[in-house]
Amino acid sequence: MHSDALIALLPFLMMTATAVAAMLAIAIRRNFALVNGLVGGGIVLSLLSLAPASHRAPVQVTELLRMDDYALFFIALLLLAGLAVLGLCHDYFKEREGQNEELPILLGTALLGGSVLAASSHFASLFLGLETLSISLFTLIGYPVEQRRSLEAAVKYLILSGTSSAFMLMGIAFLYAESGELSFGGLGRFIASEPAMNAVMVSGVVLIVAGLGFKLSLAPFHLWTPDVYEGAPAPVTAFIATVSKGAVFALLLRLFVETGGYGFAPLRPVLSLIAVLSILAGNLLALLQTNVKRLLAYSSIAHMGYLLVAFIAGAAIAKPLVAESVTFYLAAYFITTLGAFGVVSMLSSAQLEAADMALFRGLFWRRPYLAGTFTLMLLSLAGIPLTAGFIGKFYVFTSGADGGFWGLLTAIIVGSGLGIFYYLRIILAMAMEVEKIEPESEEKFVGLQSAVTLVVLSLLLVWFGVFPGDLIPYIHALAGSFGK
Amino acid sequence: MIAEASPVSHILPLLVFFGAIFALTAVMLGGAYFLGQRHRTPRAEEPFESGIVPTGDVHLRFSVHFYLIAIFFVIFDMETVFLFAWAIAVREAGWTGFIEALIFIGILIATLIYLEAIGALDWRTRRQRREADRRQHGSDACTGP
Repeated sequence: MHSDALIALLPFLMMTATAVAAMLAIAIRRNFALVNGLVGGGIVLSLLSLAPASHRAPVQVTELLRMDDYALFFIALLLLAGLAVLGLCHDYFKEREGQNEELPILLGTALLGGSVLAASSHFASLFLGLETLSISLFTLIGYPVEQRRSLEAAVKYLILSGTSSAFMLMGIAFLYAESGELSFGGLGRFIASEPAMNAVMVSGVVLIVAGLGFKLSLAPFHLWTPDVYEGAPAPVTAFIATVSKGAVFALLLRLFVETGGYGFAPLRPVLSLIAVLSILAGNLLALLQTNVKRLLAYSSIAHMGYLLVAFIAGAAIAKPLVAESVTFYLAAYFITTLGAFGVVSMLSSAQLEAADMALFRGLFWRRPYLAGTFTLMLLSLAGIPLTAGFIGKFYVFTSGADGGFWGLLTAIIVGSGLGIFYYLRIILAMAMEVEKIEPESEEKFVGLQSAVTLVVLSLLLVWFGVFPGDLIPYIHALAGSFGK
Repeated sequence: MIAEASPVSHILPLLVFFGAIFALTAVMLGGAYFLGQRHRTPRAEEPFESGIVPTGDVHLRFSVHFYLIAIFFVIFDMETVFLFAWAIAVREAGWTGFIEALIFIGILIATLIYLEAIGALDWRTRRQRREADRRQHGSDACTGP
């Protein structure tokens, strides 16, 4: 049992060791490529160590962590996303002044936090994971210290994230005060034994939903998103959009299934309202954006709204189907978002962050491959068939329709319609003929690692869009064992 | 129990107390405002420092190093807090606990090495460090011209 637990924890141990080793490497010699390689190697080792861990799954490691197939899949997803971001970071930061060596370490610790979240089955590990993730993110967002916007974004994220953590802690304290339980399972048993929830429990649940809603940037708590996405360096934005949100969503689903939160009827209208608001607000605000990073930020708000619909459907349909929909959608969303921000990151130079729509005008004629990749990613975000985004949206629809949530589905349809407009607007801008070829001395910045990352992401996007059957069996298996 | 039975009578003295405070403050501030004389001269705006003319600004700039050192102090102080907690239960925690504490201390030592190597524990400012460097192996450069 003891060695089982240790083997199950191997991915976490690897990541921790990587962070410490990379730190010592900096102490000996400052070299960006070296640290990058070290952290990349560490992530690969953690990925490999998932295999022995999966033989032992499901293992409950102390009361805090539950390493089952669900957790392992999400850890793998997060680590792969981390690897992609690391590749983008390498090319993005290698030309820049300053000491960039700490950046990979921070990515590693953020990944560790996210992975702990995906595996946590206890409020203590939830909070530990969340804070490890957020505190690494503050520094990552503000990493280019000389740039005003990054600093502003970092301070905004620090304050708002701190507030939301405080909300969540208060909520956890309320739940604990009533039930005397901090583990999800224990809380579930307490809720099941109580005929009705009292005011303290309700306030606790509401506070926790608010806290998690902030991390997922769902509608009433979304105000930080565009500013932070805009200010953060493009690869870090990709990281926030994928790893931080994916980990929190994985946690949210586990929290709800294990505590029996679905049985708590008053929460359903609240969540439905949040989902509809996110879809509408995200899509409407994205319509007239001229900044691509802000546009993608609003689109990510909308996507979290879609995902929440599949999540809400869990009240009426079987839990494995919910887990399957959410997991597939997140996987597709990860690939797409990483790709989209990857293009922005590749276009950015040390002097200029490529966020303005004007910079994308006529991109097809200047950088055809990059523009093609971006088009692919945008089509997937819009949910056009033959991309992974379509299958993801199909899953969301299936879940919603199975549960009979027609109002929410209407919101998705309206949102998707709006979405197509602004995604196509970027594609149109990229296809536009530019009259004068500017005498831009902008040297074609091509990073090998970014290029490889983007190619892999594009291939995955199309592969899972055309042959979703290659991914679905795994997700189906993990979903089947989830929540037992 | 009496307090719970009759909360209104219990609160009443408190309300009177707060009311009295507000009234007193209002009389003091309002009295000075309405009865006091006003004159606008540049000197009248300056703070009164026992007749000495004030100099300088209150917006002092602290070196960022103060904050760094303060944060390191908090971090390494927390280490001792955890170690104290472990020390109380050292027998019950057994060898597993010992190994875990070793790992914990090991990570902190690695941090310390890192901090030392990047010069975060150096109190001098960047300029002072540069000047010290120049003084050390630049004595011939100084005497040159």
